[in-house]
Amino acid sequence: MKRLILILNLILIGAMAIAACATPTTVVTSPVAPVVTEAPVVTEAPVVTEAPVVTEPPATTGEKVHVTIFVGLGTGTDPAQIDAENALAAKYNSTHDKIEVEFLIVPYDQSRERLDAMIAGGTAPQLLGPMGIETTAQFLNSLEDLTPYIQRDNYDTADFYGPAVSLNTYEGKNIGLPLGLYPSFIFFNKNAFDAAGVDYPTQDYNDKTWTITKLREVAMQVTLDVNANSATSPDFDPANITQYGFDNSWDSIRGWEVMWAPANMGRPTTSDYKTAIVNDPDWITGLQWYSDAIWKDHFMPDSAAISGLDPANGDPFAVNGLAMWMSNTWYMSESLNELPFKWDLAPTPFNLRGTRIAQVDADGFGMPKDAKNKDEAWEVLKWLLEPENNLELCRIYGCMPARKSTETAYKASLAEIYPSINLDVIFNAATYLDVPNHESWVPEFASINNDVLAFVQSQILTAGEDHDAKSVLDKANVEVQKILDEYWATH
Amino acid sequence: MLKHSRLSLRKRESLTGYLFISPWIAGFLIFTIGPMFASLYYSFTDYDIISPPVWNNFANYKKIFSGIFEALITHDSSKLGDPIFWQSLKVTLTYAIMALPLGLIVGFFLAVLLNQKIPFVNLWRTVYFLPSVIAGVAVALLWGRIFNPKVGLLNPVIEAVLHVKGPGWLADPHWAVPSLVIMGLWGVGGGMIIYLAGLQGVPTDFYDAAKVDGANLYQRFIHITLPMMTPVIFYNLVLGMIGTFQYFTEVYVITNGEGGPVRSTLFYNLYLYQNAFRYNHMGYAATMAWLLFILVLVLTLLVFRSSDVWVYYEGGLKGRE
Repeated sequence: MKRLILILNLILIGAMAIAACATPTTVVTSPVAPVVTEAPVVTEAPVVTEAPVVTEPPATTGEKVHVTIFVGLGTGTDPAQIDAENALAAKYNSTHDKIEVEFLIVPYDQSRERLDAMIAGGTAPQLLGPMGIETTAQFLNSLEDLTPYIQRDNYDTADFYGPAVSLNTYEGKNIGLPLGLYPSFIFFNKNAFDAAGVDYPTQDYNDKTWTITKLREVAMQVTLDVNANSATSPDFDPANITQYGFDNSWDSIRGWEVMWAPANMGRPTTSDYKTAIVNDPDWITGLQWYSDAIWKDHFMPDSAAISGLDPANGDPFAVNGLAMWMSNTWYMSESLNELPFKWDLAPTPFNLRGTRIAQVDADGFGMPKDAKNKDEAWEVLKWLLEPENNLELCRIYGCMPARKSTETAYKASLAEIYPSINLDVIFNAATYLDVPNHESWVPEFASINNDVLAFVQSQILTAGEDHDAKSVLDKANVEVQKILDEYWATH
Repeated sequence: MLKHSRLSLRKRESLTGYLFISPWIAGFLIFTIGPMFASLYYSFTDYDIISPPVWNNFANYKKIFSGIFEALITHDSSKLGDPIFWQSLKVTLTYAIMALPLGLIVGFFLAVLLNQKIPFVNLWRTVYFLPSVIAGVAVALLWGRIFNPKVGLLNPVIEAVLHVKGPGWLADPHWAVPSLVIMGLWGVGGGMIIYLAGLQGVPTDFYDAAKVDGANLYQRFIHITLPMMTPVIFYNLVLGMIGTFQYFTEVYVITNGEGGPVRSTLFYNLYLYQNAFRYNHMGYAATMAWLLFILVLVLTLLVFRSSDVWVYYEGGLKGRE
């Protein structure tokens, strides 16, 4: 009996060990294996010369082919958005009998690790999105070039806004299809301006008086302390500010700097990505403006003040803590009609050169190189970006649809939600975008952005640190150059 | 009729014992030892998780240790191969130096207090122990709000009682680590319970004999309680030390994984995590993990070594029976 127990135990342990080491099963359910080819063969950028080696969508019988859309790399994980995504999946599944779509929702802070694990484990999702430019940059080497699919189906990209396409193009490769754009502009609190007795900012994009200098002046006038003194008053108490004049959303320092239109715009390197230009004179001017805004002019909150304005949600504009809030259209998806004050939109100001740059965020959908069922994924991708669905997705995510043909319908839907807001400000902003974009790829993207540039921003925002932009950026430039040198030594 | 086994009773018992613990051993080999050796291999590679690892000899180790002498001579941290690595080690050591002794002392002090015959003693023990069972994420969120310099609960109390402006706490680079130390003290209940169990195991005969000999309260504490508790202190010291080097969850939650402000809370494990999962430098992260393992191992061995001269077992000091 004991021997029997011993043998059974050994079998059980062996089975557990084998099960633990076994290769995980994939989500492919089709009994008739679709003829999926290897990754499309794409030659060196910028022109794809070889014929695309993608197959026609396979005719399957029996179970549907599963296409998973990985959501969580950007927006799309709020409860209301999840409901809308599930409804969209149901709409697709009810009208298609060969492919089944599922939105896989992963919380933002876990999404990168989860995606890495899925790709490394051979269970890559079929589509990624909505994913921003930053995410695209971070996963650039893992994304499929969609050019062969576009060419095979003569897929017409002419209906997309030009910048929307270019933001998903790297070295001639289409590594995603555009979903929408999020141009930036200024949300302003009308009540705050009324209380300070200051005129509203202009909404006219041709008004040349609306400059960064003017923005500073106005922002100081609408910054109030506990005694209702403005930041321009000699009696102003900077230790007890109740309303700040301006803040630049949750943007990165690269996003901050593009307003000054530095060389290579939102890219902290030269065009060949080999030399750091973080201490470029325009970067210094821009950063010093922000530093002074916080520590000298007091119209912009420091990090402690930001965390105090709305500790629960981190939305200082919504809690009446800011008079002006530089942000993007994605903020429009919040319930802005419920704000306890009147608000409207104003353009990004002209910079010291007399040009205007309104940084843009963008979302698109991509396909991992290692995904299975790519042809089916391509079919789903095309469906998602049909005008009607493009519009629906942008309603969910708060973006301006990438398709020009949806502009009228989008405007109408926005006007229905925000009847008293000047929506022309949004559409005009799309003509002043930052190219190269402030989230665009650089070597060692995360190290440069998170290690070095986020540290610079943290220094400027934190009391007691070095707030001299030149000194801070000179040091940062050395660090960025070091990272670039290490990268190019092995690439 | 009994059938005689070819194995002796002792061997059969050993075999049965191994059989019962074999699920754990299998798990340990597959899920702990296996990944450990895998990570040792990865530490000599350039590995981004998605692509296959590429052998790079000692490049990861070189990056960490390069430039140390130049940096020491010139007092310029930018000469270091990876200044942020050393910053993260500094933050972790600073925290360990502050949190470890404080945690041991406060836990022991509370245990001594709660070992007295006071009313509602079980209630007090529960009250002090309770925070230690709360998950790190909840603790971090709670204290993040308490420490908020603008709307937190702490600064108004300081201002009302001490009539001074409270610090920026987690928003101030100079106060961020002390804030985490204070936060950590909230969870000393775990150590306190172990001390309490130890205190109740001290034979009362010793105290009675000391009283007969005329020893006062202080003398009884110094000459009986403290020596008798050294094995427990030793146990808490070793576990606490390892715990401080593994500090991660709270700072990850509070700083959103950034280690800010200005890298003031960039703990070793947080930087390791950033390298592994944000920058996809898995090979470098594996190198960091092995260096941490070696560091903790050396420190633990030193503590064990030192126990010969300060840990008292019933037969006398260890190694000096």
